[in-house]
Amino acid sequence: MVMPDFTYLRPHSLAEACALASRFGGDAAFIAGGTELIPDFHRERETARHLIALDGLGELRGIAVEHGELRIGALTTVADVAASPLVRNRLEALADAARAIGSAQIRSLATIGGNFCRAVACADTPPAAIAGGARVHLAGPMGVRELAAEEFFVGPRRTVLATGELLVAIALPPQRSGSGSSYQRFSRRKGSSLAVAAVAVRLTLTSGRITGARLALGAVGPVPLLVVRAAEMLEGELPSTALFAKAAMLCADEALPITDVRGSADFRRELVGVLARRALEEAVARAAVGQP
Amino acid sequence: MSGEVLVRLNVNGEHHTLALKPNTTLLSALRTHLGLTGTKKGCGTGDCGACTVQVDGRPVNSCLLLAVAAEGKRITTIEGLSHDGELHPLQQAFVKHGAVQCGYCTSGALMASKALIDRNDAPTSDEIREALSGNLCRCATYPRMLKAVAGWKEFEGVPFDARPHVHAERDQQRDHSVVSHGVTRYDAPDKVTGRAKYTADIQLPDTVVGKILGSPIAHGLIRRIDVSKARALSGVLAVITGADVPDAWYGVSPAREDEQILAKERVRYVGDEIAAVAAVDLETAERALRLIEVEFEELPAVFDPVSAMASGAPVIHPEKPRYAGNINTRVDWHFGDVTQGFAEADLVREQRFVGNRTYQSPMEPHAALARWEHHGDRLTLWSSTQTPHYLHRSLSRVLDIPMGNIRVIRPAVGGGFGAKAEATPLDFCAAILSKITGRPVAMEYTREEMYLHFRGRHKQYIDLKIGVKKDGTITAVEHRVVLDGGAYTSYGVITAYYAGSMLPTLYKIPNYKYDGTRVYTNLPASGAFRGHGVPQPRFAFESLLDMIAEELGLDPFDIRFRNAMEPNTRTGNALDISSCEFMETLRRARETSGWTAKKGKLPPGKGIGVGCGGFVSGAGYPIYRSDFPHSNAMIRVHEDGTGVTLHIAASEIGQGSDTVLVQIAAEELGVPYEWVWMAECDTTLSPLDLGSYSSRVTLMGGNAVKMAAQNVTAQLCEVAARELGCDPGALTAKDGRIFVKEHSTVGMDWAAAARIAFSKKGPVVGTGCYTPPRHLGGEFKGGTVGTSPAYSFSTAVAEVTVDLETGYVTVDRFTDYSDAGTVINPVTLHGQVEGAIIMGLGETLLEDTIVDAGGRFANANLHDYLIPTICETPEIHTAAVESYEPRGPFGAKEIGEGSLLPVLGAIANAIYDACGVRVTELPITPEKILRGLKERALRGSDSALVGGEVA
Repeated sequence: MVMPDFTYLRPHSLAEACALASRFGGDAAFIAGGTELIPDFHRERETARHLIALDGLGELRGIAVEHGELRIGALTTVADVAASPLVRNRLEALADAARAIGSAQIRSLATIGGNFCRAVACADTPPAAIAGGARVHLAGPMGVRELAAEEFFVGPRRTVLATGELLVAIALPPQRSGSGSSYQRFSRRKGSSLAVAAVAVRLTLTSGRITGARLALGAVGPVPLLVVRAAEMLEGELPSTALFAKAAMLCADEALPITDVRGSADFRRELVGVLARRALEEAVARAAVGQP
Repeated sequence: MSGEVLVRLNVNGEHHTLALKPNTTLLSALRTHLGLTGTKKGCGTGDCGACTVQVDGRPVNSCLLLAVAAEGKRITTIEGLSHDGELHPLQQAFVKHGAVQCGYCTSGALMASKALIDRNDAPTSDEIREALSGNLCRCATYPRMLKAVAGWKEFEGVPFDARPHVHAERDQQRDHSVVSHGVTRYDAPDKVTGRAKYTADIQLPDTVVGKILGSPIAHGLIRRIDVSKARALSGVLAVITGADVPDAWYGVSPAREDEQILAKERVRYVGDEIAAVAAVDLETAERALRLIEVEFEELPAVFDPVSAMASGAPVIHPEKPRYAGNINTRVDWHFGDVTQGFAEADLVREQRFVGNRTYQSPMEPHAALARWEHHGDRLTLWSSTQTPHYLHRSLSRVLDIPMGNIRVIRPAVGGGFGAKAEATPLDFCAAILSKITGRPVAMEYTREEMYLHFRGRHKQYIDLKIGVKKDGTITAVEHRVVLDGGAYTSYGVITAYYAGSMLPTLYKIPNYKYDGTRVYTNLPASGAFRGHGVPQPRFAFESLLDMIAEELGLDPFDIRFRNAMEPNTRTGNALDISSCEFMETLRRARETSGWTAKKGKLPPGKGIGVGCGGFVSGAGYPIYRSDFPHSNAMIRVHEDGTGVTLHIAASEIGQGSDTVLVQIAAEELGVPYEWVWMAECDTTLSPLDLGSYSSRVTLMGGNAVKMAAQNVTAQLCEVAARELGCDPGALTAKDGRIFVKEHSTVGMDWAAAARIAFSKKGPVVGTGCYTPPRHLGGEFKGGTVGTSPAYSFSTAVAEVTVDLETGYVTVDRFTDYSDAGTVINPVTLHGQVEGAIIMGLGETLLEDTIVDAGGRFANANLHDYLIPTICETPEIHTAAVESYEPRGPFGAKEIGEGSLLPVLGAIANAIYDACGVRVTELPITPEKILRGLKERALRGSDSALVGGEVA
């Protein structure tokens, strides 16, 4: 389907962007990379009459350390996130998740902010960021606010963003020494594919014992799922095959998969168990390298 | 027009200012507004990569980027890759490594590769795979792209020889100057530069856009159509419905003409054509479609053939009583006596197999462009077709105008695989709308529409029973198939016959019974797809043969050797096998793959399997009854003797047939390859050829071309003989000279002879034609299907890794040996076989269409209908065995279509070897494998079967 007519607005400041979005309300959509939004127009899933282009807002772009946090501007392309040594040093899982998205062409356009804000259930970067304890910075007509990444998602294609509000950055807290992370994803083919199930894990080891754990699931629920029970179970324990099997089972239990063209709910649940164990194993191996 | 904004674009170093609506994509701006049609549209949703351009050096899908958003950025398209006529080294590498087939993905793949080497000039194989994972290529030229990108630097600073020249690779040692040499593809230079024009690239002044309205429901009667609002919309030039099109029923198969251009009364599947509009642009045309009001009386629908045959099922073609019970075609064959054959067997095994509904998915969507000329009584139609003649004939019959008043032009075609082998509603509607509007009408399908209107693979339900002696000798085979035909016949009658006729060509089957039933359902019609009807039965047969071998304790190769076809054999169903080196393909594949060291000796999760296959080299009979030659060629010598033009309406669709035909012409004429021009495929210039289907062009077109060349050579030898004072019979032509065979120094230049001939008697033209041997096949109903002058044979060995926890299958390696007769071009041969292996891999592991409760396809797009990417490419070894087919030109026969057939069985057998799970339903998904692994564990057994029981 040909895209409907829309106006294309190019604000030069965050405030202007928010003002435009507030003015047009539900008739407006922000556009960054457009890799989700443009196909959504074709599929008649997007109906915005006004597109507010964010590409003029340089302050939303780039990766930098600020006050100990690694701040990834929402307009940073996923290609840049995947290639960034800063991101990889802090959270390997996020770099791997960014690299898993689509194709080289998609990664050159798509932004991490778009990956969050379009809130597709199988999006790759959100579970990785959640496992890494990321926080999201929002700005809107009512000012700025900040929340945990897992609180950003409300449902499939739905986020907490209020009218006129936009995602400014994703911030990764400093990683304690002895931390390691992993993003494991299953898809039906190797090249350019969408996740059928995904698990992100970050572990911290102190003297060989797990002193911090966060696990998040992707593509197996309406939103990325933080698996608190598994994390609590792991804390304080020594890594072992049996322990990871138990944690993996908890992850599988917590998954809320559906059956669709990419796989059945049962298959997805089973995948979560396998991927969780593999993610734990990789994370612990990575953590072991730098532990005190 | 209102709403336009000025957009400044920097494309290939040139600055353009365009007035565009903000919803214009960069792709559309490049193609429509700047005429840079080298950038292709394959999907419009960022899934295929055909539209890749560089923006500030990075690769992007130009279909996903708004033109306004590209302002101020540096845009490079394929047209900007070569400078001052010099090809970029990458372009040269693509040409020289044979990384170009249909060419539709080539621009995008080159631009993605360019973006890679700009950052990393010595990429590894893994880096190339990652960079090109978003560039889908249905010809699956991936192995060659990997080589080309890895080796691009070899071409740095090398001036490109624009002439197609002789490549070093040679497979055969015969004394040929052009044939059997891996010459550069004839069409490659145009395809790597984006110059090759596909139908949708042709831009005529005043062209308007046509679009078809499809049914939203699967089955129903049209009670009312109101097009008044659509007609009233500004910019709409014409709206037509069933009332405005001829009443004639048509179909590519004259045995069952059951289609109409636009539905007159009944719709039979979601997408069935109801109305069409012509408007000033696509946006207006689509808006007009939405204004057409249709009231239906919705009827119950049926989406699988077994339910469709049940009593009380909805009747899909009630106006045609012969299709009672929704039975479209029934085949009932019995050769020998299977009852006795099974009685003689030591082991009889029977198994149900179920296939998948797969789609050809060529990268180029079907397109048509129609224009009426002369006094408005002559139609010219440009169409993306594999079969210009059948299209020509259908247009004539349906529109009721003589073929002489219709000119069909087949521009470059971006892949077909069977999807473009018949006239489509686009062709008819473009013609009718152009007549009404008096303007050229351009139409093309969206990717989604391709799934609705391209006739994909029939899903088959197969009950196969094989009886063997203890030593593996086959005593009888009983083969029962139900085919899901969808709503119309298309090629389906022939499919139903092919599904049975081809099994006995590979192994000797003394007693054979085949029962085939093609059934109508309320789904898009099924048709012809590479391997036409045979891949699923072949998958079943190769799987069951392995199951039997295991039960008897035989090696899978041994049971195949035991039954393998031999040369000069008449099969039980009266097919004449002439040349046959099947045994040799088995021997070589076993040896090269390291079978003996690997079979049964690989670690858990690793497996090896063999599969075999083969196909016809052209059908023995055309689709409709006629006596004319199947291929016809004309060669005209240029007046000064320095070139010749070959005219033949054969269809280059990516398989390399133009190159092969030019090679045959050059060899037989005795001139260099680069002397031969291939004339555009245009029915006013090119003599009839039935087209590119059933693997017919090399043998049939090749024979016609060879004969035309012989005719020219005879004329020139006569002239030369007079000049040289010798007998014409003593002369031969080779490498641009005509000389005495016994005294090669006595002779003259070929060009000089041609000039004298022209001076003496005017144009030097040679014609040739080819008719298959008469009376092929048996005297029983359907005995013509499966007949061919020659058959190909091949053996493939697959090696796989199965992830025992997720069921994910990685195909690691393939070894394939083919009997293709004399190899005309080893580079295109390897490209075709590699492509068939990768396509077969997709069909075995990935591809299926998922139908929802309302009869809609839930995955009609390229991110959920998964075709293989470059990342799925295994290590592939392909080779041809020494062979000579007496009926083929220079001894050649089929390759490429038959190469798909061994793949499914080989992978299925390798998976079983790897993990003990036998999956009998395609595709073999991780989910099914996991189910089998769990069952194995539960029962504590070595193996498990996943799939249905015999009905």
